[in-house]
Parts: sequence; C-alpha cells; structure tokens
Amino acid sequence: MERSVIIAGFGGQGVILAGKILAQAGMEHGLEVTWLPSYGPEMRGGTANCTVVLSDAPVGSPIVDAPTDLIAMNLPSLDKFEPIVLPDGTIVANKSLIDRPVQRSDVHAHFVDVHPLAEQAGSARAINMVALGAYVKATGIVPIDVVKRAMADMLTAGGKEKFIAMNEKALDAGYNAI
Amino acid sequence: MSANEILAGEHFLNGDVACAEGAIAAGCRLFAGYPITPQSEITERMAYRLPKIGGDFLQMEDELASIAAILGAAWGGMKAMTATSGPGFSLMMENIGLGIMTETPCVIVDVQRGGPSTGLPTATSQGDMMQARWGTHGDHEIIAYAPASPQEMFDLTIKAFNQSERFRQPVLIMTDEVVGHMMERVVIDPDKIEIYPRRKPTVPYEQFLPFKGGSDLVPAMACAGEGYRVHVTGLTHDERGYPDLSVDSQHRLITRLLDKIRKNADEIIELEEENVHGADVVLVTYGITARTSLRAMELAQGKGIKVGMLRLISVWPFPTAAVHAIAGEVKGIVVPELNMGQMVREVERAAAGQTRVRLVPHAGGGLHRPEDILAAIEEVAR
Repeated sequence: MERSVIIAGFGGQGVILAGKILAQAGMEHGLEVTWLPSYGPEMRGGTANCTVVLSDAPVGSPIVDAPTDLIAMNLPSLDKFEPIVLPDGTIVANKSLIDRPVQRSDVHAHFVDVHPLAEQAGSARAINMVALGAYVKATGIVPIDVVKRAMADMLTAGGKEKFIAMNEKALDAGYNAI
Repeated sequence: MSANEILAGEHFLNGDVACAEGAIAAGCRLFAGYPITPQSEITERMAYRLPKIGGDFLQMEDELASIAAILGAAWGGMKAMTATSGPGFSLMMENIGLGIMTETPCVIVDVQRGGPSTGLPTATSQGDMMQARWGTHGDHEIIAYAPASPQEMFDLTIKAFNQSERFRQPVLIMTDEVVGHMMERVVIDPDKIEIYPRRKPTVPYEQFLPFKGGSDLVPAMACAGEGYRVHVTGLTHDERGYPDLSVDSQHRLITRLLDKIRKNADEIIELEEENVHGADVVLVTYGITARTSLRAMELAQGKGIKVGMLRLISVWPFPTAAVHAIAGEVKGIVVPELNMGQMVREVERAAAGQTRVRLVPHAGGGLHRPEDILAAIEEVAR
C-alpha cells in the first residue's frame, strides 16, 4: 500500500499545515511517511503545494510525478494537477472556489463546500481541516481520531492549543460531508 | 553534555532541523552562520536551541566570518558548526583550507541549491560536489557525507563531528534542498549515540609538539588556555607549529595531511550495497538521487533486468576500490546526479575502462523522473 497526495491551493489556505498533519498522523499510525513542500515565495501570495507519501514500506522519492490523490483548494490547482492523478485515485476539491466539475471519469471526485463548513466550525481559516477531514473519509488512509491527535500535537507544539477544539470540529465537518 | 539536552524519542522533522539536532547531540555548542535558503532552518533551530543549553549562537555578517568563527571556537575548545548553501559555500572556500592546514575539527553543512551564482535559491541541486572536493586551493583531502533522509541528517551530522575529531579536519555534509526540507520520521536514542572525544595531549607541556602526528598521523589537540603552547598558522609549519617555508617542510606537512586521510580511508568510507552482486547494471547514487533511483530500480527489475545499487553515504574520499571492483563485474554503471556530470568523473576514473559508465544528468530545480533513470539502465543493460 502506498498513497501519495498533492495538497495544493493559494498561499494562506493552510495546505502546507494540512499536509504536515496528515503525514504526522500517518507516522503515528505506523506508516512510513514523507512530506515535502514546494518551496518558494508562496507565503507572499500565489500558489503553494506539498506532497505527502504514506506507505507500509520505505518511501523512495518524496516527489511524485503521478499522485494517487489530490486535494485542490482552488481552480489553478485543479487545472494543474487533475491530469496527473492516477486512475482510481481520489480528488477532493474546494466547491467554494471551483466552479467546474472534475473532467476525469476514472477518479473518485468529491466536492466539498469548505468555506461555510469552516465558518460553522468557528473560523474560515479552518478550511484546510475541513478538506483534510473529507480526504480522510474518502480514502480511509488513517483513522480520523489519529488525525485529530496529530493536529492537537502540532498545534500544542506551536503554542496554539486554543484552536484545537475548533479544528476538531472542522475535521469532523469535512469527514461528515462525504 | 547531559543526555536531557538531546531531543530523544520519535519525531517528525525536516532534514535541516534533524541536522541541527544531530549537531547538538554530538556536543556542538557553538553555531556561527548567516541565513540562506535552503539551510535557514538549521540556523533558526540552532538560534532557538543553543542558548537554552549553555551554547552560543552567533549570527555573523557573512559566510567568511561564519567559518572563521567556528575555526576559532574549535581552538577555544568547543565543537562548532556552520551551515550554508552555494553562494555562501563559495565564500567559505579559503577558510576551509585554513581549517585543513591548521587541522581544526569542525563541521560545515552545504544544503545545495541550483547554481551558479544566485541560481535557484529555493530549489534542489547537487552542483557543489566537485567544489566540495577541490574548491579550496592546494593539495588536500576532504571528508564529506551525503545524507539521503532526515534520519541520516541526524545520524551523519554526529558522524561528521566524530570524524572531524578523529582526523582533525573540517568535515562536510553535502546535502540538498529536498533532503533539507522534507519531513520524515526521525528516531533519536541517546543510548545509541557514540561520541569521539577530542584527543588531548598526555605528554608534559615542554615535550608537546602540536603538529606531530601519532601512529595514525593525527596529532593530539591542545586548545587555548589548557597550559600547552599553541601556535596556529596557515603558513607551512613544522611540528612545533612555527612557520617553516622550506621545500622539505612543505613536503613533510602535505604528505602527512594527505596520508592521515588516505591511509585511514577505510575508517571513513561508508557504502550501502543493494543487489550489487550478480547484477548486470549497478546504479551509483548519493543523497537524494538514491531515493529517486529506488523507483527506477523497481521498474527495471519488473522488466527482468538485474540491477543493483551502490549508495555512497560518504562521498569523499571517493571509494575507488569498491567502484573498480564492481566495474569488473557488470555490463554498465548508471550515475544519476542533480548536476551535469560531477561524481560521474570519479566513477569513470575508478571503473578504468572496464565497463560502460552512463551519466543521467539533471541541471537541478527538481528531481529525476524515474523513467529517465530506467531508460539509462535499459540502454546499458543491452
């Protein structure tokens, strides 16, 4: 078993953190993991993405030409990465910002309206956790509880404990949206 | 050094942070550096960690000062490190030579990015491999490691410190942007960490010759303030450390400096072999290219090609004998590099015409496509 997911969006949408949390959850779940950001001046706007590989065997390249999955948080990300997702892969797309359907018929596409769900959970900034929750449900790659624990660990390490409850709600909202 | 200063346990770290933690675990208590992508996370981590454990972090005005500071720190009795990327590595070249000439233990990390010049500040490369070997002037030997994962960034940084103390010279970590920025599991068990302590003189003060090698050609090191006479110069010097610019003195010193590495190379060279024996094609890889080559190997094996891999964990001194032996047994050797052909020159030299050596070049900015490495394997397997 090896899954690779590209998580892509605008700088500021939290795609880098979502990838770190997924990778840490995979590691805590006993998988071999690697996380690699596309590294550039994205913090100042533009697009950002990271790649997470989760496997039950040692991971080779941390960069994949063809991922099994994609989380697309905006239209440019879907345009760029939809063509390279492997057949039978999973695409989670941000319905709030993407107004076209997935054109591939050989992948499992899930559109999630992340913005209202994140706002209901407590903050529009939690759209990344909504999308991650949906991805975890769609793929079953790791249990949602492990993802919540990884998220809590990561926020605690960053001194942001007060956001844990809200992000748990956002993960649940995404998880239940599929 | 107390064990609780080591980041024990299982962690999810990027290679840069793992390198910084490896340095701390090795006993490094002085870091002097200047931030540069893609190594800034090393500098940042050391700035965060060292003041809390009684160490010193020095933000220097540039990379010339950074390496000068760590050489001075070593002579003051500390274990010290600096880290940089291509442009800063270029600035460090002269003082790497000073470190070799004065036999100063320290560790220098180059997290490689695309060059020349400013090049690709945020993207990967292995374009400094020959600069590492020959960037500083004059005859010298180099010890350098090429980690392929955050775990190895931790482990090999400790090893680099140990070898720098063992052989009394600067040791290089030649990594790249991808290994620096990728996050993976890093397991740190303080009970398994071995530290090579600095060799101190044991003779009476008046009998000490600071640049007289022992039976292994490596001298003991007396640091400033320990009571021994210390005179350190970049000029050619005698065993007392005083300038002696004669032909004989130059010959004696340079021969010893080279031989202390050459004659002890077996203690330094570290290789990983996978399916090498009985293979028709062997990949010679180092650093991140070992990771990308794994997929190419699987693809080739799926096509029935007998392919193995020799991974250079240490890249300098080059494992000439090992590569020569393999070259005598295979149809071809494939060398993927994130440069347009550097270590492949050493592979060709070691192969000495016994077999075909095929470079898979990449100018940097990304990683090889496994298909490109596969095509080279298929070509030499024919």
